[in-house]
Amino acid sequence: MQMLQSPMTLFKKLTPLALILPMALLLLPDQAWALQSHGSPEGIYVHQLAHLFFAAALGYLFWDIGRNSFPGKGWRYLQIFCILMILWNFLAFSGHWLGFHIADSDILRPSGYFSSQIMGPISTIKLIYFCATLDHLLSLPALIFLFLSLRSLYHSSDDKEGKK
Amino acid sequence: MNTLPLSLSIVTDITGSLLIIVFSFLSLRYAWLLSRRQPENFLWGFLFYFCLTLAAFAISRAIGHILKHILIFTGNQELWQTLDPISGGTNTLLMISLAAVTLYYHKGIEGYQAINKKTRSLKEAYDQLETAADQRQEMNLHLEEMVAARTLELSASEKKFRNLFNNSKDMVYFSDASNQLLTLNSAGFEMLGYPAQGAPALHLMEIFKNETDLDNYYQTLLAQGFVEDLKVEFAKADGSGISVLLSATAVYDENHQLSGCDGIVKDLTRIKTMMEQLAASEKMASVGQMAAGVAHEINTPLGVILGYAQLMMDNFSPESEEGECLAIIERQTKVCRKIVADLLKFSRQSESVREDISINEILQDVIAVTQHSLQMDHINVHHDFAQDLPPVVGDTERLRQVFVNLINNAHHAMEQNGSGDLTLITRYDPEIREVVATVQDNGHGIPDKIRARIFDPYFTTKCVGKGTGLGLSVSYGIIQDHGGRIEVESPVVSRDHEETLQGTAFHLRLPAALVETASVRE
Repeated sequence: MQMLQSPMTLFKKLTPLALILPMALLLLPDQAWALQSHGSPEGIYVHQLAHLFFAAALGYLFWDIGRNSFPGKGWRYLQIFCILMILWNFLAFSGHWLGFHIADSDILRPSGYFSSQIMGPISTIKLIYFCATLDHLLSLPALIFLFLSLRSLYHSSDDKEGKK
Repeated sequence: MNTLPLSLSIVTDITGSLLIIVFSFLSLRYAWLLSRRQPENFLWGFLFYFCLTLAAFAISRAIGHILKHILIFTGNQELWQTLDPISGGTNTLLMISLAAVTLYYHKGIEGYQAINKKTRSLKEAYDQLETAADQRQEMNLHLEEMVAARTLELSASEKKFRNLFNNSKDMVYFSDASNQLLTLNSAGFEMLGYPAQGAPALHLMEIFKNETDLDNYYQTLLAQGFVEDLKVEFAKADGSGISVLLSATAVYDENHQLSGCDGIVKDLTRIKTMMEQLAASEKMASVGQMAAGVAHEINTPLGVILGYAQLMMDNFSPESEEGECLAIIERQTKVCRKIVADLLKFSRQSESVREDISINEILQDVIAVTQHSLQMDHINVHHDFAQDLPPVVGDTERLRQVFVNLINNAHHAMEQNGSGDLTLITRYDPEIREVVATVQDNGHGIPDKIRARIFDPYFTTKCVGKGTGLGLSVSYGIIQDHGGRIEVESPVVSRDHEETLQGTAFHLRLPAALVETASVRE
């Protein structure tokens, strides 16, 4: 068990630091890094990291459901949701990443916004980017499986309540 | 392929965004319903918050995407470039929230599982307690039922044995190891002549008349553990003896020590009387046979003596000495012939005429004949004749002789007192279809020591010359010849069984005639 320090001992240790820090800020202002600004890519980096974080969390959820062997169809549907959403995250991550490699000239709008098209020659990057724009083909089934999962869990809990 | 149409992506994006909103809210609804149904279930709580965040993410993302398409389509691309970071930042924030909620699930589920485990453990313990309580309750319930049923059985059994104990006609007793009587049934008190209420505490030493019998009883009990059919004599309250047949079983305590005994005692008085009467009957039968032979042999010489005596009487004057001697010979020879005739009647050698006769009429005839002499000795005659008395089949003369003999005996028993009461009773016993005629006197009675001999031939208590000793013997033979029997009672128990009267009663039991029996049945 960790021994707690008494308030008096802690005060004695912090007293020199409390005296030095205000003096340093007053005497050496050029060396004080009070605020650090980042460049514009910060937002997309955070977004990409969020995709990875979300995918990792879903992976953990998938694994934990299997580990606990929760019974019933509802939990299997939830695992399918996790897989599809993980794939969606990677697809979205790829789409965001490849978006930097698609030049404005690669997209042509001959007769307005709805006539937009990716110009050839079609490379792998352009093809993956195109697929990434269709990410709802993964996310929508994932949400359908989530819906099915919760509905199934609700009905199975209904059965258990009935048996009670 | 030279181009890839993004119009498909735009349509898919708009449609998919809207549908994702729809399904995310449908999922949220079920998650909410689940958490409402089982609020204590952590999993449903997690899924609710997950769906809530996902619905927010779906809305944010859908709005961003649809807004993008609308703004670009309407030529407000600059505005979209302003809003784009806000939309993206919101989406990022919500995605991180989703991930955080999912990871938070890890700790939550551990806590939930720990609580769940505890709950299950408590529930199992509670179930076990409940099961144990149910079992205990059921056992208690069954125990009560079993106790009630057993109590009922014991009560019935106790009642049965109590009835057996109380209603037994034989003595039943329980004694302790010192032979002190602990319990004695009413038949026992009656047999010993003690009142059932307020009787003194009795000891076997007081009941056994002979000390050696008690020693024998106790030693046998100690040696064998039981006593079977031991014939002993008990002392009654009035000091008289009573022959009994005793059977007893020893009772032992938990240390195998004799703690007492229970026994059954049967009164042998009646059986003894019957045995004595049976023995007398056999003796009478043999004596009768022998007497018949002797009488037959004597009858002939007596006839010769009487004949010659009467012939010689013709040759002598009655006043002469020879004539007087011959008259004496003739008279005594006739007495002898009468004795012989009585002997033959006793042994049923003489012929008799059978007809339906009324006992009441015979008794009235006998009273008419004997009343004068009875009155001379101040003996009053009482009669109580049954009106509907059925006839009996028999010989009128011989039955009349029986009643004359009995009345003469009664007269003899009462004449010393200077007065007396002779009672003649007739009645019909329908259960055994017998006509009972009783001749009862209040004379000196018959002592116990001679009671078994009164029917013996030539046995008499009368003075010499007053009785031949054949009256009761002959009567016995006649009644037996009629299929009946004679019972003697001395002293006499009154008809209401309340007092004992001095004197003797002869009860003649004769079978009722069959014709009358049939009419009685009808």
